[in-house]
Amino acid sequence: MSDIAAETLQPPYRNRGAAGDFLVRLFRGKPLGAAGAVVVLVFLVCGVFAEALAPYGFNAINPADRMQAPSAAHPLGTDNLGRDMLSRMLYGAQFSVIIGLSAAGLATVLSILIGVTTGYLGGRFDMLVQRMVDAWMTFPALVILIVVVSVVGPGVPQIIVVLALLYGIAGSRILRGNVVSIRENMYVHAAQSIGAGTQRILWRHILPNVMPAVIVLFTTRVGAVILAEASLSFLGLGVPPPAPTWGGLLSGSGRAYMHQGPWLALAPGLALTIVVFAINVFGDALRDLLDPRMRGSR
Amino acid sequence: MLCIRSVALALRATLLTSLVFGCGAAGAQSGKPQYGGTLEVGTVFVTLSALSWDPQDWNWKTNHDAGMFFEQLFAADLDKSVRKGGKYRFVWDAWLPSDAIRGELAERWEWKNPLTLVVTLRKGVMFPDKPGVMKSRELTAEDVVFSYERLDQSPKKIPTWFDHVAKVEARDRYTVLFTFKEYNAEWDYRFGWGFYSAIVPKEMAGVDAKNWRNAAGSGPFQLADFVQGNSQSYVKNPNYWDTEKIGATAYKIPFVDKLVYRIIKDEATQHTALRTGKLDILESIRWSAVDQLKRSAPQLKWSRWLTTTGQFLVMRTDRKPFDDVRVRRALNMAVDKQEIVKSYYGGNAELFSYPMRPDWPGYYEPLEKMPASVKELFVYNPEKAKKLLAEAGYPNGFSFKAQFTTASPDHADLVPLVAGYLEKVGVKMELQPMEYGAFLSAMTTRTHGPGYFMPRGHTNPTAGMRSFVTGQTWNPAIWSDPAYDRKMDEVYLTRDEGKRQKMLKEMVVEILDQAPYVWLPTPYVYTAWWPWVQNYDGELRAGSVRPGPIYARIWVDQEMKKKMGF
Amino acid sequence: MQAYIARRLLALVPTLFFASLIVFVSVRLIPGSVIDLMLSQNDIGTGNSRAAIEAALGLDRPVHEQYLRWAGAALQGDLGRSLWTSTPVTEQLAARLPVTLELGVLALAVGLIVALPIGVYSAIRQDTAGDYLARSFSILMLGIPSFWLGTLVMVFPSIWWGWSPEIDYVPLTRDPLKNLSQMILPAVILGTSLSAVTMRFTRTMMLEVLRQDYIRTAWAKGLGERLVVIRHALRNALIPVVTLIGLQAPILIGGAVIIEQIFVIPGMGLLLLEAVGQRDYPIITGVFLVVGLCVMLINLLVDLSYGMLDPKVRYR
Repeated sequence: MSDIAAETLQPPYRNRGAAGDFLVRLFRGKPLGAAGAVVVLVFLVCGVFAEALAPYGFNAINPADRMQAPSAAHPLGTDNLGRDMLSRMLYGAQFSVIIGLSAAGLATVLSILIGVTTGYLGGRFDMLVQRMVDAWMTFPALVILIVVVSVVGPGVPQIIVVLALLYGIAGSRILRGNVVSIRENMYVHAAQSIGAGTQRILWRHILPNVMPAVIVLFTTRVGAVILAEASLSFLGLGVPPPAPTWGGLLSGSGRAYMHQGPWLALAPGLALTIVVFAINVFGDALRDLLDPRMRGSR
Repeated sequence: MLCIRSVALALRATLLTSLVFGCGAAGAQSGKPQYGGTLEVGTVFVTLSALSWDPQDWNWKTNHDAGMFFEQLFAADLDKSVRKGGKYRFVWDAWLPSDAIRGELAERWEWKNPLTLVVTLRKGVMFPDKPGVMKSRELTAEDVVFSYERLDQSPKKIPTWFDHVAKVEARDRYTVLFTFKEYNAEWDYRFGWGFYSAIVPKEMAGVDAKNWRNAAGSGPFQLADFVQGNSQSYVKNPNYWDTEKIGATAYKIPFVDKLVYRIIKDEATQHTALRTGKLDILESIRWSAVDQLKRSAPQLKWSRWLTTTGQFLVMRTDRKPFDDVRVRRALNMAVDKQEIVKSYYGGNAELFSYPMRPDWPGYYEPLEKMPASVKELFVYNPEKAKKLLAEAGYPNGFSFKAQFTTASPDHADLVPLVAGYLEKVGVKMELQPMEYGAFLSAMTTRTHGPGYFMPRGHTNPTAGMRSFVTGQTWNPAIWSDPAYDRKMDEVYLTRDEGKRQKMLKEMVVEILDQAPYVWLPTPYVYTAWWPWVQNYDGELRAGSVRPGPIYARIWVDQEMKKKMGF
Repeated sequence: MQAYIARRLLALVPTLFFASLIVFVSVRLIPGSVIDLMLSQNDIGTGNSRAAIEAALGLDRPVHEQYLRWAGAALQGDLGRSLWTSTPVTEQLAARLPVTLELGVLALAVGLIVALPIGVYSAIRQDTAGDYLARSFSILMLGIPSFWLGTLVMVFPSIWWGWSPEIDYVPLTRDPLKNLSQMILPAVILGTSLSAVTMRFTRTMMLEVLRQDYIRTAWAKGLGERLVVIRHALRNALIPVVTLIGLQAPILIGGAVIIEQIFVIPGMGLLLLEAVGQRDYPIITGVFLVVGLCVMLINLLVDLSYGMLDPKVRYR
């Protein structure tokens, strides 16, 4: 009975695009987003296949070759210890892929869980959880990071978990605000009045309407996490040397030798900016395409 | 952009040339000193704020920050500096050669008998007016006694520091009597010109001495403001007792009205501040940054000195595999130290300068004069290293955990470099990065190692050797040799410096041979200052990390500074 | 409404103390206690003065006793003293908080001035060249790490024109020109990176809102674009944006550490970083308390503003 009712009351989000159809719309309608998608693809390939693509190891120290400008043998030059920059950049991409996708993914799941449930259910549950979120968010991120980094030692898994927690809980507030607005909409009231269960409403009505915000959140988070690691490296809390994360390369040898060897800063700096740019632009395009209300508009 | 820059440079060059010809004097001394102005300094510890203003905290850095207003019995005789025709550059961390010590608060001192020292204080040294603390009055022997006893009774005191002292008493208003239980060669270092020798007024007992606002000392400057982690401002003490002879005239010092320590944590910002004249002196510049600064600020004056903090790979000798001297020697031979000097430091390093520095005359023996067994530790020989390892029972090498700190930019580069060399002989270093606080405390709680990259100060000849005495905090190699400890005790008891030097040289050879560390080269570091900073040539310390007397003698040529556009 | 505010304010107190308890305990768990650090300061030492120092600092008492003592004093406005320099924590906080607030307000202002107009423009001129340009610029700003931008801004003007921002901090009231010459560049950098996120969210939310029925009605009624956009659309789009501001506040208050480090600004971020490095427990707890209070107050304001902006939301 409720199925028929739910079917009749079509929420204005129903989306049926096929994959091919999607790609066409992407490349034709959103050229910038398409360019972003290509860059993201290249980034992912570099990250996943770093071992195969890199001509040298990322820690092949060779002091005799130090500080060489880009050349045929070393397309991106060498650093102050003679390590090949191209290889280090490729391995850096791997770190960014792993840390970025894992942390952002975890964070987004967390944000959805907390934000949607508290936003919809409201009442005492909302109050309690929001107070806990408040308490968590008053912890300066730095303290948490230093505690974790000191107790468990610096490393990739710790950073992923901590960044996921930090961004996840913080992001839940955005989603909650969104949900608070959505739940007051007509169709939600209608669904409630015909007796649709909470789970159903969350799954079929709330969640899909929050999706645009979620997608934007995820894409900005990937970029933000990669940048956060860069900032952590600057403060000495990032993935420790000799790991060649882009943030570590930029804040370490990039800054220290920016006059003698500008390529040491240009490579990671440009890579960071371009990849974050691409991720965000692609995410925007994705959101625009997936939201049927946007489909018709120009 | 380029146009403006070259025009500006040309203008400045012209002005400077006319200035030089106009004054007729070249070099550091350009005529009569001027009074007034502010001196902005990025010191050797430009990233570190004051950790304590109270000498009773027994903090090594207090001399650096409070040494501007708290004076000591002895200090460096800056007339013996190179720019005044002497032979010393005064860049040592905490050492003064015996012929370059002068009395600061002490006018003269003599040994009444081998265990009694009589120190006569200067007359007319005044403590300032400090509301809430004290009224201006003369410094007397009672203050010296009070300062000593206050240090002695502090809960933070280094336990054995004053063991050689039996009693300190005031014989009369200006005479202090030191009675020793036994002679200690470091007597003047331990309470004289060393880290823990500040003379404070008796009135400190009645106020909160930790509060920097209550600090009252007899020195050339007084503390005016303290913004933690940002700056420390000192103002001139108008009633300071000392004078500086320039030419034939004795001038009252200090010359400058205000002295500011800038605390700048970021290296690029430090260089920028120097380049734009916001810092008059920057005392510690990495060799790799010098070229760029010379190009963008060509009028800067420079001096180069061997850094007083070296980096070493410490091996815990109380555990396998480093309890075997062959393993330790093998690791030394496996590292290409010449290449580190040449390629990593670009030639700006000394291969051999620890535990004795080349600028400690009489104590230092160069590598060429060392026995063959020591020399071979500094020659790259991976085959011999592998042979020794096989002999010791590790034909296929081994792996060990090595800790370093993520807070040190040096470690970030040096550690993988050393790891690379060791891997070539089959020894794998498992790198364990640690946050600085955790890193240091691992050492104090003896939970560090087996490998540990330690920054170690080349403090002074005896303090450096003390690192290897059983039970010392800064003995991370856990080196324990009762014979060595006995020799060290004997060194303290030896009055004759020549004899001490000979004994120490023997101990140096012994410890180098035993190789508790992988001895690594020590880099050179640069100091730069603007030409308007006068009566100064890159001197750094006039006591243990204490630059106060040096800054008191600097005068700022404000006209030159204005003419140069700053 | 009043009851809601009162309840929230009351909830503030136990939350703060519960969280402060967690911080109090957890900083003491960081390996490397302050005693170890103090002992390592001394060049040599053979015996153990550990017990004496612990007693002098009051760290030999059991943790819960230390906390109760601290909490009792805190309620009277005494947050203890630095373990190293013995300066009262409240004094430190009073000196650093205005600096951070000034930087934060300036950065927020810059951020909003940049973000809101661009976000709105992008939304109403969706998919035009202007939209792409504006979005590209802001996303580009997102992708440049603040420490790198800060370094470039600090270093290159000094090489090209012999100019750099002021490094001597003076309060705004004492010498506004000198103060701003130090603060304006870091505020712009901080604000621009914040604005990127805000701009995109403004655009997204505006796009959502512009499709709504009531907007269509307004168009149909013949209302001018400006009226529709500002009075109807913007108000509703602002809800997540306001949330975003609330989210950015802790960053601005608690730790624009990198910017403070590069531009030599004596703010709360650096104070905290130094205190953690030195294990100065009273300062860490004190900073946290103040930051926490500020953040919670800001979040309360944010939540209340939902009611103002979105008439559908009512607080029970």
